[in-house]
Amino acid sequence: MGGLIQDIKLRGHDLPKLEALREKGRNSFLSQGLPTPKTEAWKYTRVRTLTGNDFVIEETKVSKCSCKQHQTCCCTDQSFSLPFDAYEIRFCNGKLQNDHFHLPEGVEALPLTEAFDDPDIFHLLNKSFDMDKFPFAALNTAYLEQGIFLRIGRDIVLDKPIAFLYHTSGGLKRFACLRNLIVLETGAQAEMIEYYHYSGAPKSEYFNNIVHEIYIGRNAKLRHYAVQNEAFKAVHIALTAVKVKENGHFESFCLQKGADLARRETHVVLQEPDAKTNVNAVYMMNGWATLDTTTDVEHLAPHTLSGQLIKGVVGGQAKGVFQGKIHIAPKAQQIEGNQLHRALLLSDDAEVDIKPELEIFADDVKCSHGAACGELDAEQLFYLQSRGIGAEEARQMLIEAFIDEAFQTIENPSVREWIKSI
Amino acid sequence: MTTPLLEIEDLCARAGDKEIIKDFNLTINEGEVHAIMGPNGAGKSTLSYVLCGKPGYEITSGSIKFKGRDLISMSIEERAREGLFLIMQYPVEIPGVPTTAFLKHAVNAIRKHNHESELDTMAFIKMVRETGKNLGIDAEMLKRPVNVGFSGGEKKRMETLQMAVLKPDMAILDEADSGLDIDALKVVAGGVNSLRDGKRSMLVITHYQRLLNYIIPDFVHVFANGHIVKSGDKNLALELEEKGYAEFIRDKA
Repeated sequence: MGGLIQDIKLRGHDLPKLEALREKGRNSFLSQGLPTPKTEAWKYTRVRTLTGNDFVIEETKVSKCSCKQHQTCCCTDQSFSLPFDAYEIRFCNGKLQNDHFHLPEGVEALPLTEAFDDPDIFHLLNKSFDMDKFPFAALNTAYLEQGIFLRIGRDIVLDKPIAFLYHTSGGLKRFACLRNLIVLETGAQAEMIEYYHYSGAPKSEYFNNIVHEIYIGRNAKLRHYAVQNEAFKAVHIALTAVKVKENGHFESFCLQKGADLARRETHVVLQEPDAKTNVNAVYMMNGWATLDTTTDVEHLAPHTLSGQLIKGVVGGQAKGVFQGKIHIAPKAQQIEGNQLHRALLLSDDAEVDIKPELEIFADDVKCSHGAACGELDAEQLFYLQSRGIGAEEARQMLIEAFIDEAFQTIENPSVREWIKSI
Repeated sequence: MTTPLLEIEDLCARAGDKEIIKDFNLTINEGEVHAIMGPNGAGKSTLSYVLCGKPGYEITSGSIKFKGRDLISMSIEERAREGLFLIMQYPVEIPGVPTTAFLKHAVNAIRKHNHESELDTMAFIKMVRETGKNLGIDAEMLKRPVNVGFSGGEKKRMETLQMAVLKPDMAILDEADSGLDIDALKVVAGGVNSLRDGKRSMLVITHYQRLLNYIIPDFVHVFANGHIVKSGDKNLALELEEKGYAEFIRDKA
């Protein structure tokens, strides 16, 4: 753990304004320590990979990517572009690459370090979660610097998605802490993509620690898609903390396919009446990976709505973890909260650990949850093979059919086809 | 003497601890239609599954040759690609798999095996539509996921369409008439008869004689106690319809 927390003051910009907050983050992380199997929120996901592993933040005063000497880098290789038009915000090895954002009128983007000059923006930091409950978000706070502030103005409806492209190139044991603050003002509508990918040696070891804080205003709607396709020895820990105001809607889909250890945690607070959220996800892996999908939806106000559909496919000796919590506060009446998790185990050594939790303190609520894992249906497999389809192809067809229900929740067809093709 | 299409010799097979097929012998030559009739629970379906290689059945002794080759060592898909097709009694529903995609995969897997060029989507759909039209089967069913929400009759129509599209050398019909109204029965029988060309063979497994009014067999066998206890021509089926199976079960008991 020592390696993760050294020399915080020496990193990057000299930002006196941030020192107090960084110090709080540092202290919070040190007092929590790395989660152990005894930490309830982490009981299924071991972070052994991190102990005694010296990940380092690149020692550079230059905020730009320093990997241009490499053959493949996001800066030079356009194959990391998306197959559809989007406003692109690029990060390479933990550093923001954009000089300009080319965003339409009414949409504002600033590097975090500049945005903090505005006390109203600074005030939003760490307000969407309690860092004493999220050790890695505390660590992220201790290293706060890289990331952007993005504001979509009142009633602005974006014509194409905003894509955050997070690229890591092989080589060093890089440690990146990124923080993005996203605000949708009243009536704003947008689509946002987070795409994590790498180039270079697939065995690259690196650690991405990402926090997104998202504030959704009245009548505003954000469709949020995250694709985690990190190198297979990488560590990826992400918190997406969202607050939704009256009649606002946070709709999200997350695909996890890469990394050796990954946890994507989505925490949505439905603060005001008629706020809605959909938190859908797919995880697929082989090998030895541990992929964790954790959700926490808090219904604080009446007439709020949440739905979750999570599907997993686990082979090899990999381990999937799903923890899903729905919390309904005492005054939050006439609520609907649904959660469904299904996983497919493809081998005897594959494992899925599931922890659904309902905390209901109101009486007029409709809640459902279901969690199950199973194997491929032998009758279906036989049927396909008996028509001449090879065993492996038949398995693939059934796996795709199983997952497809979750992919169908992605409303934007270009995004859906792209995510399915990954 | 040409090689028989299917040659089963002294076959014994079991499911779990239960021996279901005992010393079973049957030879089917090119172009022949054989009917196997027997009481419920005699193991008729087991025979069809053993022939198609369904997991869960163990062959303890005997041999099966298809076109002179050892069938038992072939995988399920190899058997299908070699030209064996089973119309299943209860076709399974496969949500999420579109019928068109499924059938195109199947057609091309078999074409590839036979060193024929694969069909593109346009050519495939045209071929299926024409085949369906000739059999009086509406190809609209192809747009739905495999068998999902199909009635019993629709499922059997789909099985028949698949058979006509995949053009097997030998089709096994496992209780193809169960749960069918007369119209659906005629469609299934029509499909089978349209494939009778003097080369293709059929093995019709049925409890009732009814189906054999539409698919006229060359040979009828009575299956009881794990093997064939009596063989004859189509008149044997009529005899069974009249007298029932009691005689054969009693004989053995």
